[in-house]
Amino acid sequence: MSKTIPDALIDNDSPQEKAEKEFGSLTSKEWLFVSKHNPGEPLPVPIEDEPPYFILIATYLNYLILIIIGHIRDFFGKLFHPELFRDVMVKDGIAPWYANFESFYTRRLKTRLDDCFARPICGVPGRYIKCYDRTSDDYNNTYNYSGTVTERLNLSSYNYLGFAQSSGLCTSESIKTVEKYGTNSAGPRVSVGTTDLHLECEDVVAKFTGKDNALVFSMGYGTNANLFTSLVDSKCCVISDSLNHGSIRTGVRLSGASVKTFAHNDMAALERTLRSVISQGQPKTHRPWKKIFVAVEGLYSMEGTLCNLPKLVELRKRYKFYLFVDEAHSIGAMGPNGKGVCDYFGISSSNIDIMMGTFTKSFGATGGYIAADKAIIDRLKLDLTTNTYGESMSPAVLTQIITSLKIIDGQLNGNEGKERLQRIAFNSRYLRLGLKRLGFIVYGADDSPVIPLLLYLPPKMPAFSRMMYDRKVAVVVVGYPATDITSSRIRFCVSSSLKKEDIDYLLKCCDEIGDTLFLKFSTGIAGGEKHPGDYKKGIAPRWTLEEVLEKTPEDCKKAMY
Amino acid sequence: MSTTTVTTTTILLPEYLENIYAEVETSFGRFLSLVREIPGGAIIINYIRASYKNDPYRSLFELALALFAIRYFLASKFSYNEKDMVKLSDKDIDELVEEWNPEPIVLPVSDKEQWQADSNPLVIGAVASRVELQVPNGEHLKNVANLASNDFLNMSQREETKDAAKKQIAFSGIGACGPPNFYGTQDAHARLEEDLARFLGAERAILYSQDFCTVPSVIACFLKRGDIVVYDSGIALATQKGIELSRCTAYHFNHNDMDNLEKVLADLKPMLDEGPLTRRFIITEGLFQNFGDSPDLRRICELKKKFKYRLFLDETLSIGVLGATGRGLPELYGIPRTDVEVTTGALSYALGSSGGFCVGENAMVHHQLISSSAYVFSAAIPPYFARVASVSLRLLQEDDSVSRLQSSINFLYSKFKECQKLKKLVIITSSDVSPILHLRLHRDLRSRLDLPVSYGGPGSAMEKIVQRGDEHGYFDENYNRESQILQQIVDRVLNNHNILITRCKRILHHEKLPLLPELMIHINVAFSESELSEAFEAVSSEIYNVLQQL
Repeated sequence: MSKTIPDALIDNDSPQEKAEKEFGSLTSKEWLFVSKHNPGEPLPVPIEDEPPYFILIATYLNYLILIIIGHIRDFFGKLFHPELFRDVMVKDGIAPWYANFESFYTRRLKTRLDDCFARPICGVPGRYIKCYDRTSDDYNNTYNYSGTVTERLNLSSYNYLGFAQSSGLCTSESIKTVEKYGTNSAGPRVSVGTTDLHLECEDVVAKFTGKDNALVFSMGYGTNANLFTSLVDSKCCVISDSLNHGSIRTGVRLSGASVKTFAHNDMAALERTLRSVISQGQPKTHRPWKKIFVAVEGLYSMEGTLCNLPKLVELRKRYKFYLFVDEAHSIGAMGPNGKGVCDYFGISSSNIDIMMGTFTKSFGATGGYIAADKAIIDRLKLDLTTNTYGESMSPAVLTQIITSLKIIDGQLNGNEGKERLQRIAFNSRYLRLGLKRLGFIVYGADDSPVIPLLLYLPPKMPAFSRMMYDRKVAVVVVGYPATDITSSRIRFCVSSSLKKEDIDYLLKCCDEIGDTLFLKFSTGIAGGEKHPGDYKKGIAPRWTLEEVLEKTPEDCKKAMY
Repeated sequence: MSTTTVTTTTILLPEYLENIYAEVETSFGRFLSLVREIPGGAIIINYIRASYKNDPYRSLFELALALFAIRYFLASKFSYNEKDMVKLSDKDIDELVEEWNPEPIVLPVSDKEQWQADSNPLVIGAVASRVELQVPNGEHLKNVANLASNDFLNMSQREETKDAAKKQIAFSGIGACGPPNFYGTQDAHARLEEDLARFLGAERAILYSQDFCTVPSVIACFLKRGDIVVYDSGIALATQKGIELSRCTAYHFNHNDMDNLEKVLADLKPMLDEGPLTRRFIITEGLFQNFGDSPDLRRICELKKKFKYRLFLDETLSIGVLGATGRGLPELYGIPRTDVEVTTGALSYALGSSGGFCVGENAMVHHQLISSSAYVFSAAIPPYFARVASVSLRLLQEDDSVSRLQSSINFLYSKFKECQKLKKLVIITSSDVSPILHLRLHRDLRSRLDLPVSYGGPGSAMEKIVQRGDEHGYFDENYNRESQILQQIVDRVLNNHNILITRCKRILHHEKLPLLPELMIHINVAFSESELSEAFEAVSSEIYNVLQQL
């Protein structure tokens, strides 16, 4: 037993076995689907079932009890074990690192389920993930590692297209790049860090997104966090979706621009805000705004919802704002050609002013990009802090991006890219519909590879996660403060690397756990009727696992009822 | 019990009002009896009656007050002031929408600025100590000596680090595919965190995905509104952004002026003694990115102990460079790392990898795991970055790279320092231990050229232009002219001698502190003394040629 994370063990798998564990082979051509929204059709509004009232009341009660017990433990703890509270006490006249109330949630609530977070792994986070076995005998303050690993089905990594692989074209090309270029680029882009590889990558990204030019950065968060200072100032207004990622919020805050938020995906609210903002002008002076930006995400990583791009484009034409779309999760994962939300909705990318995205999710790499018209990129090359002050992208990462983008685009490896895209579309739809039919409340758009399953009660987070872990499935739990206090959830990130059989197994596990934890309380409407005409008679459908497994793989390819 | 005098005034009420009144009273009575039905309901009603002395109007009044208070607290604090809003009809709004035309997203790059973009070198192949460059006319320059690289110890080109990278990629692929808190932490990350903590003598380390994002995120994690920061007025842009982001109360002291720091701290003391105990930090750099010099760490440590501050030291440049074994500024002063509460650093400089890190005591690092936004909201660094940095740390402890670098630094520094020809033309701001030599135009020369004492900073014209949001004013004629003079030197050194040096390329309107353009020569351990001598001859003669003509 050791207290630190052990070194990786030597693999005994043959190369074929290893490859299969990283990216499962396709069992049948039937398990493919092309994800696309038909232009002209209204955007389907995902059905979001409300939980029964007693669930909500129980959730609040749960937090109340946790908080009361937490305060009791704090009170007596400080009396009898002051040494445990050193970190929140004044020492030698110096304030503690963080205030008592700042850390209350962490100490008293999150520590209880800490074993479900930051589970250390080794190797490729592909179809299976190798998690180190660990136990804790001091309530998750420290862990004991036995040195062994357990392979688990991976529903947690952002590996949408399954490019997290240790063999194959991407990896071999990247290794060649390390040999030729070394391990980093030795400086910011403007001093010495621009190589031919950077320009090639930017070229490939620009072509892929359908924009004139692109810039790549070594970190996705940093791309957003430092972008807005170069676009807007205090005389500008940014209208932001209420569920935008932290990096966008940080970036906008740094820019000093005036910020308005609108309820998540509520286009009517956005229009009201736009009308009010444009007609009122700047506060106090009522002068017109210099620029107005609307910032949205293509695919929301906690909700699984898509932005309403057709409506946004329509509003943009009318209200003349600039549209910023963060495609961190949607690029690669959405659309018949994997080119993000524009591709999915069949809308030209010229309707979006600034396209931002990351390489961490679909391309198995790291970093972020901005794609825009030439004039914008030319200016940003001179006036963007990340570009001028930050490190430039590492060469092997660039090769991974270039190669994976070319595979998706069909320039390399023939049909492989298409197959990856169609596999993730099928897997996402199958899992989502299956969960709905089993009676779970699931958020998000049908084609989205992010599938949040709502738990509501906080203790169900560790319970679900541990029960899944015991069944050899690795999942991510998300709770307050990343979500609303009542809507704790499990988030499945679907990948092309999963086989249809893996999803069958996952549904079986969810079915068992759902019964044990009492999670199946949806109306069942979102999963479609079992027999046509049921709704009129007031019958809410309930499907058994066997029925789900039998019917859903075919049903999920049809439009939802 | 006190007697209450009830005054009854008879007002003739219209019939319908009386009806309403009666209706309200009966429904209220029904409501009360309903509440009584609930177990314990009677107790509540009796309690309210008793505590409000049986006065329903007072109860109602206080209920109204409570509702008002709730509404007040729930109202958005950042919404438009209602009085400030102009009432407009839909038609008016439509017209205003029709009328409004935004400014373009960015200003097009003007002819006067275009040279800046063109002057960025394009490297073909590896950014090693010798590089192949493609110049704007399409020509290729081969075997150019690279004196512009941040990879001072040449770690990115060593076989050991390359092998480690290749092995790790073959084992785990490129990306970590997830944030560290969600299955993004691998054994390679854990090893590097341990290696960094051990190497620097700290309790624990935490890794970040980008050098430029590390400092702002760590600062914003510990400093909130009301906390106090006293910073050196020479800090780099990342630190400035961090202070801005944290919204704490910030004071500055003159660059590396310890007496001034003491004065600032002493002046603040009476005010701080009165208020609540807040978090207080002194922020400075191990080796200033903007000057190439270092603060007097001993004095700072004395002062922070005396005035009860914590020390935040940004060692982005100095890890792997300063001190006998490259352990940074504290090693140079013989001060234990534990005296520095927060140390931030970069993997992308001397360690030849990518990313950033922070080291310090357990509680401090632990808090970042869930509260530092660049850590929480970002994917973990690719495991091979971590492996490369671990190998670099091992290498610089095993061989003599650090001491060889230091002797190269010393060699080139003294060459420039002793050069009589340049005495009247340039000033060296960097110290004799800085791997980057910073050269500025001499004061006399600058005043002869009618250049301002410095650009930007508090109270400057640029600050006002930025506040106004006047993008046309961001272009500063003088700053452009001075930068262009330096670029001339850089170009001539490249074209006539096949040596690549660089100049500081800072964005004036983003900087909050005053700055001056500089010529920068980055020293690399791969160069021999004779190569450095050649470089010195080349640079000094071109500086002389260009500046003498002005």
